This record gives sequence, C-alpha cells and structure tokens, in this order.
Amino acid sequence: MSTNNVNYGTIIKNGIFGENPVFRLALSLCPAVAVTSGVKNGFLMGVAVFFVMIMVNATVSLLRNFINAKVRIPSYMFIIATWVTVTDLVMAAFARDVYKQMGLYIMLIVAFAIVLSRAEMFASKNKLLPSIVDGAAMGMGFLLALVLLGIFREFLGKGSLWGMQILPGKPVLIMIMPAGGFFAMGLMMGWLNWIDRKFFGGTGASSGGH
Amino acid sequence: MKEMLKITLSLVAIFIAAGLVMGVTYKYTSPVRFIAEKKEKEEALKAMAPNATDPIVPAGNWSSSHGKPYEYYQATAAGKPVAYISSTAGKGYSSFVAMLVSLDTDLKIKDVKILHHGETPGLGDQVEEKSFIDQFKGKSLLQIVLTKDSSKTDNIVAISGATISSRAVTNGVQDAVKTLVEKYGAGVVAAPKEVKHEHK
Repeated sequence: MSTNNVNYGTIIKNGIFGENPVFRLALSLCPAVAVTSGVKNGFLMGVAVFFVMIMVNATVSLLRNFINAKVRIPSYMFIIATWVTVTDLVMAAFARDVYKQMGLYIMLIVAFAIVLSRAEMFASKNKLLPSIVDGAAMGMGFLLALVLLGIFREFLGKGSLWGMQILPGKPVLIMIMPAGGFFAMGLMMGWLNWIDRKFFGGTGASSGGH
Repeated sequence: MKEMLKITLSLVAIFIAAGLVMGVTYKYTSPVRFIAEKKEKEEALKAMAPNATDPIVPAGNWSSSHGKPYEYYQATAAGKPVAYISSTAGKGYSSFVAMLVSLDTDLKIKDVKILHHGETPGLGDQVEEKSFIDQFKGKSLLQIVLTKDSSKTDNIVAISGATISSRAVTNGVQDAVKTLVEKYGAGVVAAPKEVKHEHK
C-alpha cells in the first residue's frame, strides 16, 4: 500500500467489508466465538477492541521508524499490552458501570490476532492518520461482526435480543454453546460470500489475501 | 555486537516508556477507583439489609478455608439486630468470586450479592444471573449444598457449563453462613454439622 496516496474510503470499506477481521481475514475467531453468545457481550467486546486498535495503530505508526525490525513483534506486543492495561485502569476508575459489564473481557484483548496483525500489516508502514483510520475501520468491522454473530446466536439460542425475551423458550439451544458458535460463524461467512459473489461480483473468502 | 546493543536499547526504551505510561495511569486512576469501590461497598452493604437504620460497621474478622480474611457485620435498627452480613469469596475457575451474604435473624439467607469475579465470560459469569442467586434465598446452612440434579430444589442446582463457578459461589456462601451461625447463632443451631461437599 502506498504511503503517499492514501484513500480513506478504501481503508474504511476494507476494514468493514472487504477485509472484515472475522468474516474475511478469519482472525480472532476464538474471542468471536467465546463472547457472542449474546448481543450485549459481543457489542461491549467490540467497543473495547475498537478503542484499543485505534491507540495501538497510532502508537505503532508513530514509533515505526524507531522500532527495530528484528524485535518488532515483542515491541508491538508490549504496546498492545500497555494500551489494554491503560484502558482497563481508566475504565475501572471512571466508567464503573461499563467496567462491571466489560471488565472481564478487556484483558483478553492483549492476545487478539487482529490487533497485532493490523500493527504489523498496516500501522508499521503508514503514517499516523491513515493508521488511526485503519484501526477505527478494522475495529468497527470487528464490532459489527460480533454484533451480527451475537444477534444470530442469541436470537436462535435463547430467543432473545440484548437480554430481552422475544420468542418463548429457546428455539435452538446449541447456538449459544461453543459448537453453535462455529456453526454460526460458518453460516455467516458463507452467506456473506454468497452475497458478495451474487451482487458485487466478488471472489469470496480470503479476497483480502492474508 | 553493536547491533545486539541497538536491539536491546530499542526494546528497553519501549519497555521503560510503556512502564511510565502504565505507572502514571495507575497513579491517577487508582485513588478514584479506590473511592468508587469503597462507596459501592457501602451501598452494597446497605442494600443487603434495607431494614437497618443504623450505620453498618464491621463487627469482626474471620478467615475462610482458603486463608483469606473477611469481615462480618451486624446490621441493626434502633439498636436491635435485623440482619447479619458477611463478606466472603469462593475459588472459581479463574478467579475468586467475591460476595456479600446476609442472614435474617432466624439465620436463613436473606440475600447474596456477587461483588466481582473474573470467571469466563459467557460461561462462568452466568452465576451472576438472578435465577441462580435467588436459589440461595431463604435457605439455611445445611441446605447450601451444590447439586447437578435439577429436581433437588432444596439444595443449590449448579448451572450446566459453569459447575466450577457455581461451586465457588456455593462454597463461599457456605463459609460465610457457617461463620455467621457460629457468631450469632448460639442456641439456635447448637453445633452446625459439617456440610458434605459435592465432589466431582
């Protein structure tokens, strides 16, 4: 990707559709399965990842000429861990209500492949502003994917959305179990690929090529 | 050799900077967090015994089977006891589940509140659900036993997929109730029997 001619529209479109972290790059599937048994959990996790990705991309981009290429992965990991810790501390102090809901998930973000991969693939080669936009777009893509999975799984598995009961009983209980997470993920991926091919002439999965 | 030094220095510089960022954040957020947590604890205590009119102050300490110290309280209204409260915790899958337990004056559980925990999101955190916690209400010491048999509503029915977290809550509540019964139950339960733990 060229560092001079940056098309923000393309970056945003890539993050949300073309290279959607979950459905296209197939990264961070583990948390995507783990937290999407409900819409709310998926949404809160998505929001936390969104902020961390922006901060990490910004830092890596600023330090890209300083970080030694041979130790870039430990450097990125440390930057990620720092921002995750800061997010955790700040939320614990100033956003108590949200923290009570999300506190469990925040520390997990350190190990998300998508955060590290954007630092390596994009932020380390691009200027500050495009890196921030990429972090935001990828974070938004991740958030949307989790919410979509959450809606699908919670509605089928518990008959509810955001904790509100809509259907009586639990139509397909397995959808909220871990196995159901994989079913949901596969179905969603296939469905999105089908839409892509049918209506947008895309090539289907892994068009991102990473 | 020179390159090794360069690599080391670049890493060390990042580590120091990161440490500073985290340290400064901690310095400015921890007092706010401490005050907020203290206030939350006071509010939680009050919610455990809504009929108490006097301020709830610690009556003493006890230490649980896993060796951690906890406080217990006697909630009073106009000098007369209306509830007994204890803080407690149970060891779960990946954390200690910290709780408050309150007893009526007849030594039956009035309320259980989970303060904080670090159990698996989506599985272990189901112990926070009302349907699980409400099982404890009105139960006496000998009934607080975990079971997987959903027909045994006299006991505490474990959440499937969250047995270890269910056990953490049950054990923590059991410890607290045992302590409170020992402290305040003289004459009511002469010698509380050892409750058999369910082993897997």
